[in-house]
Order: sequence, then structure tokens, then C-alpha cells
Amino acid sequence: MNNKNRDVAIIGCGMSKFSSHREEVNQPEMVHEAVVEALQDARLGMDDVDCVLHGNMELFEMVHQPDMWHVLGSGAWGKPGIRLTTGGTTGATLACAADNLVASGLHDVVLAIGFEKLQEGHATGGITNMADPLWGRSLQTGALTGTTAQKLIEQFGEERAKYAAMKMRTIMDENAMRNNKAHRRLGLDRKHMKETGAGSPPLVGELRLIHMCSQSDGACAVIFTSEEKVAQFGSNPAWVVDHETVHREETLIFSTGKSTHRVAAERLFARNGITDPVHEIDVFEMYDPSSWWGVDWLGEFMLCNKDEHLRMVEQDSIAIDGEFPVNPSGGVQASNPIGATALVRVAEAAMQIRGTAGDHQVARPVRRALASGFGGTLWTVLMLLSKEKP
Amino acid sequence: MSGKKESGQELIVSRQILSIPQRFSTGPVMGRFLRELRDNQRIMANKCPQCGRHQLPPREVCAVCHVEATEWEELGPEGTVQDFDIVYYSSPDPLTGETRETPYVLCWAELDRTQGDAPLWHLLDAPDLSQVRRGLRVRVVFAEERNGTMADIKHFEIIK
Repeated sequence: MNNKNRDVAIIGCGMSKFSSHREEVNQPEMVHEAVVEALQDARLGMDDVDCVLHGNMELFEMVHQPDMWHVLGSGAWGKPGIRLTTGGTTGATLACAADNLVASGLHDVVLAIGFEKLQEGHATGGITNMADPLWGRSLQTGALTGTTAQKLIEQFGEERAKYAAMKMRTIMDENAMRNNKAHRRLGLDRKHMKETGAGSPPLVGELRLIHMCSQSDGACAVIFTSEEKVAQFGSNPAWVVDHETVHREETLIFSTGKSTHRVAAERLFARNGITDPVHEIDVFEMYDPSSWWGVDWLGEFMLCNKDEHLRMVEQDSIAIDGEFPVNPSGGVQASNPIGATALVRVAEAAMQIRGTAGDHQVARPVRRALASGFGGTLWTVLMLLSKEKP
Repeated sequence: MSGKKESGQELIVSRQILSIPQRFSTGPVMGRFLRELRDNQRIMANKCPQCGRHQLPPREVCAVCHVEATEWEELGPEGTVQDFDIVYYSSPDPLTGETRETPYVLCWAELDRTQGDAPLWHLLDAPDLSQVRRGLRVRVVFAEERNGTMADIKHFEIIK
């Protein structure tokens, strides 16, 4: 961003364990796990935090003002705060808001918390209720659609497209196997990708159960602070370079024209002098709710031509030891606690820069990392982080 | 937090079902579209006076030009499939809680005379799934009993 008052860094990241059933804890207890881990990672106490942001999708659990219920777990009692809910992008919007609040000088240390406990509500019903109630609600099927699979099959042929979708799914699972926070760690075998894909129950068209993300319970907490406080605390920072949000009118149809992903990437890269994103960015944490979307959106975000994105998948460039690692955490296909999911992307990107990703730390040195959020009716948020102060 | 589970402790899960009756105002623009469906079995779109594109669903201003879209024109009832989804997963209808029979087909069909990108999204009655493809010619079938909702359109049917 060109007109920031001061630079902002991420200095602490925390996550709960992600799982389909966190029935052993209630919501405040689950949020507490992430908050404690973030504070420990930042070597701060709750007294150091000036402001708490809290977000999720209320219509999943149907609890309104969950920030009130969660206050024991979030530590927000008596502190300034804002509640945010922007669909699947909620977590990324929390990160943008935290950056803006610190950059502006309004607050020095901001704790952003995203959570979802999808087991306690009905995710597909909740997503369906995001549709225009007068027009699309009776037809919407949650976030499930097979149109991207069909598009890739038409573009690249059935065999190549199906292979790419299962290859991406398998790489995501290999990464999730390295991440002990991940929800689904299936142990998929590259030798059996074709049968695994063909044998998986179809959901919509060629979108099958194996391609689709999970419904997870989980929370994520990220601590943002100012350049002055980074020096004062002696923190290990991942600096926020810039962020971009693109959304469109709900019923302006999505089948033609540029995607919000491509528009967001073009704007962000132009503003930051990035002309060759695959070579100028070291790791990408992408919000990819299915492996079909993952393959297609990789091309949109990296501004690929022709089949460049398919080749990146086919040739293992996106693997954890590849030249452009995508979702070393296992990504959304492994874990999707929706209100936390996009904040997890930012946290994971920051952890790669800070060198704190543990068993899923990528092999190459990470100077620049990109995180994306996706949600609403085709919204995009991108956040660019760097090791060097901008 | 000292939220440690004691050995042998039952962890009680509280089960609740929410039922919310809702009433949505449709306004003069969407309301006119729904009235035309109910009373005249016509698909009426409004049109931007500046760029000439139709809007389905009709809405007060052109989403691109940001000017009032005041003209109305009838589109269809025949059209061409642009995109489709064959749905195998039985997602409950959030309006009724009922689960649809699967598989069923959803399509985005461009109605004849449409200017711009405004396909109509609805169910497609396709007894033979292998027939479903882009470019398929289809026709709107109206429900016998109509109440001023999108369900006044029963589905698209394939033109033989």
C-alpha cells in the first residue's frame, strides 16, 4: 500500500487443532487454544493486546454476537474490538482490518481471531442462505458446483484435467500429512490417484467427494503490530506489504469476463512491481475449496497463459519441495473451519516467512509469501507478506 | 482454561432445531418480475438505457453503468443452455427442509433476445442425462399453481 502511516508485521500465529468434531470443547474453549498459542508465539501477554477483532459466519452456527460468548476464551473483556463477517473471506478481511488498524496508528497490537465450529450448524444450508432469497435460494446447492471441472475438461481434455485435479488433491494431502493441525490426513497414494478419483462419490458433475474440502471445527489467531513495537518486543516479524479486496455485484453473472481472482492479482502485482509472480513469490497459501478450483485458480492468481498452471501441477512445481510451493499446510482441502480458513492462509504464509512452520516448512528460502481468501458470491482477498521490511 | 475432561466424564452435546418463518419484501422492480410470472407467465427483464444489456433478475439500476434501468422487455420463453450442473448430492432445500430427488440438473440458459450476460438459472427436466450439454435448446415451463415466486417457473424442458 502506498500511503501507510507506518509498517505493520505479523509477530504471532496460533491455531487450534482442526477436526470434524471438536465435541470435547465448547466454542470459547476452542478459540482459547488459538489465542494462547498466538500469544506464546509472540511472547506477549493479553495485557499487551490493544484491540481484538473477531469473525466468523453467524449463519453457520446461528449464534449472533458470538464474540460476547467467547470473551473468556478470546481475552477481549474490556478491550476495543470489531466483529467482522464477510463470508468465506472473513479471515482475510480480519487480517486486512488488523493491518489497517495498526498502520493507521489507532492501535499498536491487534489480535485477529477467526473461528468456525461447523459441526454445530449446517454449512451447506448456511451457504445456501447467502443466495438472494428472491432469486437463487431455492436453487443454490451450498458451495458445490461442477462447472469448473467441466471447463477444465473442455479446455484440456478429460484425461489430463482429471489427472491434474487428483494430482493437486494428492499433493495437498501429502502436505497435510506433515501438518499435525490438519483435519483430513488421508495418506493418499500417487500410484492409485486414478482409481481414487473414479471411485469417489460424485457430488455435482465431475466434482467428487475426494476433490471437495472438508467441514471442520477450528480457530485461528494472529497478532499484528507496528514497526516500533517489533523493535521494542524484539519480535520475529513477517511484514505486511499490501492487500487487495475485489468483489462484484451478487447477480452479475460469473460465467464470462475476468474472475475476481485475476483482477485482484493484477492490481496487487502492478502496485508492488511484480511482473513474474511465480518467480518473485516464494510460497502461496491459496483458499481452494476443491482441487478443481485449486487447479483453475492457480492459473488465475498467477496470471498464467494456456496450460502453464496445469504443467505446474503435473511437474510437481507446487509440491512442498517444488519451485513454487502451494499450500504446504495442506490447504483448505485438508481443513476448512470457514471463518478461520482465510486467516489460516495468512498465518501459514507468515509462518513460512518466519521459519516457524515446523514439519511443513518449505525447502526453499521464503522472502515473499502470498495468501488468498475466497468467499461470498465470488469474492477475493489477497495479502502479500515479506521477510524484509517494505 | 481448566477445561480438562475428567476420566469417564460424559460430554453432553445440546441438540437444538431452529425454525424461522421469513417474509421478504420484493420491491417494485423484482415485484413486477414476479407478478408477470404469476399473472401472465412471461419472463420480463429490465434493460439499461445506456449499455442496452438486460438484467435477470431485474434490479433498480444497471450493475455496470449505475443508471436507472427503466425499460422492460419480454425474453424467451425459449433459450440455449450456457452452463449446467448435474447434482448428485442431495442438498436440503433451505426453504422447505426437503431433500430433492437426485440426480437433478440445474442450468444457466440464455433466453432468446437477451442482450448481454444474463442467463436464467433454473432446474432442467432431463430424463436422459447424456443429452445434457452446452448449446442445448430449452423452453421455460410454468407451474400450474403460481404464487409470485421463482417456483412459478417449474423448470426448463428440452425442445425436441
